[in-house]
Amino acid sequence: MRVGAPSRRAAVIGLLSALAIATNYAMIGIPNVKLMDSIVFLAGLSLGFADGAAVATLTWIVYGFLNPYGFVPTIWLATTLGEWLFALAGSLSRTLPGERKPPVMAALGYATTLAYDLVTNAAFAVTFGLPIWAALVAGIPFALLHELTNAAAFSLLVPRAEAAVLALLGPGARGGRIRADRL
Amino acid sequence: MEKWAAVSVLLLIWAVSASMLAVYYRSELSALNQRLSASAGGEGEYVTVNLGIGVQGGDVTWYNGTRVKKGSTLLDVTAQVADVNYTVYPGMGAFVQSINGVANSDPYYWMWWTWTDWGGWQEGPVAADRYVVADGETLFWYFEDASQSPLPTPP
Repeated sequence: MRVGAPSRRAAVIGLLSALAIATNYAMIGIPNVKLMDSIVFLAGLSLGFADGAAVATLTWIVYGFLNPYGFVPTIWLATTLGEWLFALAGSLSRTLPGERKPPVMAALGYATTLAYDLVTNAAFAVTFGLPIWAALVAGIPFALLHELTNAAAFSLLVPRAEAAVLALLGPGARGGRIRADRL
Repeated sequence: MEKWAAVSVLLLIWAVSASMLAVYYRSELSALNQRLSASAGGEGEYVTVNLGIGVQGGDVTWYNGTRVKKGSTLLDVTAQVADVNYTVYPGMGAFVQSINGVANSDPYYWMWWTWTDWGGWQEGPVAADRYVVADGETLFWYFEDASQSPLPTPP
């Protein structure tokens, strides 16, 4: 289901992409701790999968190409497609009944990040000719940090941010999904 | 109800995280045991390694037959033969900043390599202070353009 006028949706896609890019650079010194995943999830949740994937792709086009850690095409492709998982999870979460409960958001954040880490660490192993199992095990400390911080970010930020994004999209976006008193 | 949901999610996250950590530390222990077994050769309390230090397109110096105590790391060996400066990042290990006055300067960094029978030079898999050297091993510090992919191997 698409929500909001096209111009407003385009504006929100740009806004969320800019927010993801800016926070990525602001937090570049803290490996594996980023707000980008929550923002892409939020985009999928409030706008749908296609728009969420657009936010993910736009963010990775900028952040992937202009990255002080370097650019490797296969890693970039894996992280971009992996980021779509957050848009997909957000989109699928729209069918969840009731309000956004923090525990549910935390579980979604943790599980989706786990899937993302598996995909991207496997892609890293294939790219550099490492055994996949060894790469997955070696990446566990970094993956755990990523998963735990995303679980916290999803539970604390997403419910409030969704209400704000739907308010930006206008009255048509509410559609009974979000109660007016939450806006 | 929401309390139970929160507790359940926390327990689930804890269970998965703890299992992952258990796998990780089991793997680390296994790798360390392998390295210690490999260093069990040598004479008495010591092992002998060959260490090269070189700059891409420049000079290479070899410190062959360097004797160090069993259980020494590559960083220990390097500090024994050269002037080395490094920064320790908790959880990740020592990041070498300079060797013999040659300091990292983007895109040139100190990378370390180990010689293998099966595939020639292989890039070091962990930080130098986390790699226990084995008897008879050949290692190399290479000051190279780290922006290249794949990385240039030592000469």
